[in-house]
Amino acid sequence: MRSGTQFCPGCGESLIPSAVAPEHRVASVSRTRFIEHWGELKRVGWLFGLLLATSFVFGIAWRSAHSPWLSVIASAVDAAIVLVAAGLRYRKLLFLFQLRPSGLRDSVVLIAIAFLFVALATAYFWVIEWLGVPMSSATAAYTRAGWPLWSMLLLISAMPAVFEELAFRGVIQSTLERVLNARDAWLIQAALFSVLHLSPLMFPSHFLMGLCFGYMRRRSRSIYPGMLLHACWNALVVLQELPA
Amino acid sequence: MDKTWEVDEANTVKAHFGAFGKKIVAVNGAEVHNSRKMGPKGEIAFSLPDGRSAALSLRKQFIGAPGIDLKVDGNLVVETGKKPIKCAACDTVAKPYDRFCGKCGKPMPTAEDYENRKNVKAATGAIKVLAVVFVIAGIAFFFITKGAADTALVKLEGADPATTYPTPIGGQTYTVGALRKQLAWEPWGVLIVNLIIASIMVALALWGRRSPLPAVLIATATYAVVIAYAAIGDPATLGQGLLMKIIIIAFLIRGIKAALALRTAGA
Repeated sequence: MRSGTQFCPGCGESLIPSAVAPEHRVASVSRTRFIEHWGELKRVGWLFGLLLATSFVFGIAWRSAHSPWLSVIASAVDAAIVLVAAGLRYRKLLFLFQLRPSGLRDSVVLIAIAFLFVALATAYFWVIEWLGVPMSSATAAYTRAGWPLWSMLLLISAMPAVFEELAFRGVIQSTLERVLNARDAWLIQAALFSVLHLSPLMFPSHFLMGLCFGYMRRRSRSIYPGMLLHACWNALVVLQELPA
Repeated sequence: MDKTWEVDEANTVKAHFGAFGKKIVAVNGAEVHNSRKMGPKGEIAFSLPDGRSAALSLRKQFIGAPGIDLKVDGNLVVETGKKPIKCAACDTVAKPYDRFCGKCGKPMPTAEDYENRKNVKAATGAIKVLAVVFVIAGIAFFFITKGAADTALVKLEGADPATTYPTPIGGQTYTVGALRKQLAWEPWGVLIVNLIIASIMVALALWGRRSPLPAVLIATATYAVVIAYAAIGDPATLGQGLLMKIIIIAFLIRGIKAALALRTAGA
């Protein structure tokens, strides 16, 4: 035995009675846990991949025809994908759909986050505009086709808010929390949310959005506050773009 | 390629795999295999002096020389590296075959853990490569796009900014003024977008040292999105550098698996 040895290098057993017992007795590589976690990550990968595929096909189609009907189809396909993904994990996501009375402190924090988010996002887009970066309009195709305001609010504001929250703060964040710690899951869902918007210039602003909505979901243990803020922000963008 | 494995205090296996296929395996200095051929199942099987069965096998890599694994009684053996192995908790030098630290009793990493760490390192390496690629691509495309934009701007000289440009571009109709603005922005847009992605990759590579799993996950998603984004702009880009794209994604996915294995093993 080598000098200074207090534990058996083969089995970890204490060799001298006074030695403090080691914290981890056995290096048990849990194969079952790995398979389970890998399965969870694959589920997130599938959902993200399908949403990316829809955006890709929609983006290609958008090049040849700027029709709002394309947005309708893309939104419907995305909604179906998200509903199936959420439906498969319905029991595990059930807690997110419950309305709980939140305390005064939590309410103040959620409202403060909402204001902070609106201020930061507005500042970001103001800087982008000030730099002269040409921005694509979300409502141009609808106004050109003569679609009414309510259709824009439904397709640009409400539907993305409901289904994106369900996908990212619902399925993805909850699934990742089972594999990683809450902080990592929060950061990853925000990153996935930002990159899936397929606009590198929007990565920072949408990452911020993902962080805010994710924090609201963590704080309130419900996706409704995030959905509400998301829908309000989208509605603000729509109303700001429309001519007076 | 020379490799050494200290199986235990009494047994050491040495392997020499020559560049022209010569394979020599020695146990405690005595040759047990000297041939160009591998055995059945692509393994070199032999026995240790104490009767335990051992097998050397080649593990194919995406890039570079294949890895060599030694299994004794079906268990992977930690390779004896150039640097001494130290306990992560108390920094005591340990032997490759130690399963626990002799001083503090903490479990030592297994051969699988070392393999997983190598794969995670390869994945974070791929993220660094991507960062460099995006910086270079950003600068190169800036000059290419600027040249093309300048030529187009010369053609638009003298045209009334309020008039509509006759040919739709990307399915969209522009006024001459808006088109000029778009053309002036184009090279800067390409540069900024590439630099944003490069800085994301740098940040992820740095974060990957502390938290490899989330960093590699985000890098994989970002890279997939960048490929899709470029393909929406020009579908031909999907096939450009396809082999490189596949290799990078394979490295990243293997990195995710390895980081997850290390996380679940608590190593």
